[in-house]
Amino acid sequence: MAKSKLPVFPSETLIHKITHLMHDGMDARTSGEFEIPPALGDARWTDELILSTWHMAATGTLPDNLNYKTGESNGGFDRLDFKLLDEEQWLKHSEDIKTSIPLNRRGDHRKKLSPAIPIYGGGMSYGSVSVNVMMSRAIHAKNWNTYMSTGEGGYPEELYDCRDHVITQVATGLFGVEEKSIQAAPIVEFKYAQGAKPGLGGHLLASKAGEEVAKMRGSVPFVSLFSPFPFHSTYSVEDHSKHIDWVQTINPDALISVKVSTPHDVDMVAVGSYYAGAHIIHLDGGFGGTGAAPEIAKKNIAMPIELAVPKVHKFLIKEGIRENVTLIASGGIRTADDIAKAIALGADGVVLGTSDLVAMGCTRCSNCEGGPSGRGCPWGLTTTDIELQEWVQQEWAVKRLDNYYTALQWRLRDILRKLGLSDVKELVGRTDLLVYTRSDLK
Amino acid sequence: MQLLNKLEGDQTMIGASDKSRLTMTEFAKESRIRADSYHRYHIDTIETPDRQSLPNRFLVSVGKFGLAKLLVSEIFEYWGKWDVVFARPCTYGVFSGPVGGFSPRPEKCVGCLRCTIEHPGFVTITPNPALETLGDSYLNSKIISTIDEEARKGTVPVRGQGYRGRFGGPGWDEMFTDMSEIVRPSRDGIHGRELISTIVDIGSKPMRLQFDSEGSLVSAGPKMMSIQVPFVFDSPAGSVMSPRLAKIWKTAAEQVDTLALISADIVASNNLESPSVVPIFSLDSFESANSFKNGTRMVQLDGWGASEYESMTSSNPDLMISVRMSFEEGWQDQLSEMVDAGVSVIHFVANNHGEADGGRFIMDIIIEAHEMLLKAGVRDKVTLLHSGGVVAADHLPKAIICGLDAVGLDLPLLIAIQARLSGDTSSRERYTAKLPKKFDDKWACQRIVNLTGSWRDQMLEILGAMGIREVRRLRGEMGRAMWCSHLEEEAFSEIEGFTGGGI
Ligand code: SF4
Ligand code: SF4
Repeated sequence: MAKSKLPVFPSETLIHKITHLMHDGMDARTSGEFEIPPALGDARWTDELILSTWHMAATGTLPDNLNYKTGESNGGFDRLDFKLLDEEQWLKHSEDIKTSIPLNRRGDHRKKLSPAIPIYGGGMSYGSVSVNVMMSRAIHAKNWNTYMSTGEGGYPEELYDCRDHVITQVATGLFGVEEKSIQAAPIVEFKYAQGAKPGLGGHLLASKAGEEVAKMRGSVPFVSLFSPFPFHSTYSVEDHSKHIDWVQTINPDALISVKVSTPHDVDMVAVGSYYAGAHIIHLDGGFGGTGAAPEIAKKNIAMPIELAVPKVHKFLIKEGIRENVTLIASGGIRTADDIAKAIALGADGVVLGTSDLVAMGCTRCSNCEGGPSGRGCPWGLTTTDIELQEWVQQEWAVKRLDNYYTALQWRLRDILRKLGLSDVKELVGRTDLLVYTRSDLK
Repeated sequence: MQLLNKLEGDQTMIGASDKSRLTMTEFAKESRIRADSYHRYHIDTIETPDRQSLPNRFLVSVGKFGLAKLLVSEIFEYWGKWDVVFARPCTYGVFSGPVGGFSPRPEKCVGCLRCTIEHPGFVTITPNPALETLGDSYLNSKIISTIDEEARKGTVPVRGQGYRGRFGGPGWDEMFTDMSEIVRPSRDGIHGRELISTIVDIGSKPMRLQFDSEGSLVSAGPKMMSIQVPFVFDSPAGSVMSPRLAKIWKTAAEQVDTLALISADIVASNNLESPSVVPIFSLDSFESANSFKNGTRMVQLDGWGASEYESMTSSNPDLMISVRMSFEEGWQDQLSEMVDAGVSVIHFVANNHGEADGGRFIMDIIIEAHEMLLKAGVRDKVTLLHSGGVVAADHLPKAIICGLDAVGLDLPLLIAIQARLSGDTSSRERYTAKLPKKFDDKWACQRIVNLTGSWRDQMLEILGAMGIREVRRLRGEMGRAMWCSHLEEEAFSEIEGFTGGGI
């Protein structure tokens, strides 16, 4: 690990200089003033998808000259399209087109939560990202009457200002899980597995587990932290139910979300979770983001979200419980078009993580785990380095996220109206409104 | 089992008899010795730097005029605040040489793109075409760079952010492996991975034991050996293999506790006989097999010849004899014939792109072969090895799921020692390999050991996620594989325009 000098807290002038260079540079690249950086993008997140996300985050509108809909992965969302009505049948673009979804469909006494959009923020732990990033996502969630998840790294004090919009995650290492943070939560999320590294647990590198992070997680500074897999107290659905009882004793109002990966029997897992008391079944597919994961796990273990959602949706219908549970999809959802496709395949809504980071400047360079510098993300996103984290200033980041979601919502409404639907709930499971295309074959 | 009588001092321990009565100190000492003598299999990896580095991932181009202009303007704007003036975008040291950005160090660039986004007017980062053109359509530059990293570090490649590639197939990419939300190989340790066994048996297990009327065993017992990992080191093209490489293959195989398959001529003329070396004989040179000593456990016939096999077996009753066969048209009949003749170790071969039998991908052929033997009720009588087309860590567990006991590695070992391949790299014989100008055998051996350590650890990730405790149980476990095209069929069949999954 080549560290030439210890990072120091940057001066106001330095923060001003760097952030301006970054922001102006992003704008210059999206405006078309300069060419698309030749090293940007990959098959899933193409250069145009990254730049269009930056454009949406800067302006709140869709770009004219960039493909903001699909990547080039030759499968899944990238081969699906919508069966749009003829133009004369389109509804008018209007804020009356509803995008809100209910999260509690069990009909029990717990909170009736309805985010304004069928999207909430996925878990990114304190440690894998800075407080700046966490707070930006939380404030943005509050602005949008939606939610974001703490991930497994504790609940920084600052987050309590947004407590009604912060999901407390209980994951296998139980890092930072406290009665206080469970009591504060509108939703408690049990993370059984993560799509990008299913069945492998988590690992926070020593370099990222600094003083503050360690304090939050109740650990020793600069010692690697492993989140084991799986819950060591869970051998069965009955054990899982016990977990849920325990949380509901602490917070009787909170909704329970169960986040699982996408194995062969994901449909059974979903049914089991429902009967154990879950309000939300959150499926996390294999192509999602992560702070650090073995490369072998990302593609090879478990199935992509596009294939898991219809499987679970159909099975829940068959079991007669689809109407009583909210099905959330994540792991590889990049665009408003992906969101609409996931819903048409059977999800009620989606969770975004990587897209939030891209909106805040991520180039998908894959160095989040520390990279050769050992300091984490050079853009200040997935790092707790005292200098680098300052490159993400809250006010700017919240604005970017707000703009981005404005554009996402606009495009979602655009798709709905062109399908003749006035409510996103009408799109759930409507595979008849999709077409499979092989035109992108390369 | 010793029972603890009292917990402190030199109190006695109660054993099975007075003789085994131990003092606390003796008991502790004995326990220590017992604990120290326990050997848990482990591959010792050591970071081993490059001898012939791959081309840099990125080219870094900085316009000198633009940079000079920036510096001058910043000196005026931030006069006295030198930390601000000299703050540069790269946290990886590309611009930290004596003259900063005027002479960048592209070998350090990881492509974060901060510099080119912040200074679009005069900094350009480009993927290096010299790297991208390495390899061929199958063993491509990404796989080569990954093997290179695995051989250098001996660790599991870990990166941030998600998957970056194609949705599904072709080839091995058509398969996703399963995982379990709650089942683990063990509740011990961090993930239980350290308790997963990767031992595989080579040879034949009798399907039943036979006894005479007196109750004495009359049938032969199992004739097999175990290796610690489900891969063996196979010989590269004849024109590439050399006595030096053979020695490296042998030493690395001994270190990892696997087998190195090497031409019998090279073994004989360089005294490479060893329990870890499997000499390969052509059908017309097998007579010399009985001259191989020094613990040679197995030999291999390069091709099928019933009479040659028969003659070799009768003159070498103690040796395990494996036979190499390629998947050419009619291979099914040949396989049956070999099994009927009692061949217990069959080594399939396909080209380097994993194609055989008129262009079919080996994944399907291996499944067919495995199922054929299962149906015939003889699968456990035979060990199936395969070489050709296994070039990445994920291919290994996938090949085993299809029905192999172990795979043969050749090209990945060459890449690990930084050979540059050229010629017809899809063919097993018609390619050439340029080795680094200067390297010592110890270096090469460690690079290969590192690669195997990394691949074994990656296999443990897959097994751990499935909750499978030993790799032997993975063999043919098709129920733990998910096929992209099948899943697509299930997910998309009712969608208009869908005409079938796959590529
Ligand atoms: S290091 Fe930063 S910019 Fe690079 S992929 Fe990770 S979050 Fe994105
Ligand atoms: S792309 Fe990133 S790593 Fe490469 S030179 Fe620029 S700042 Fe440094």
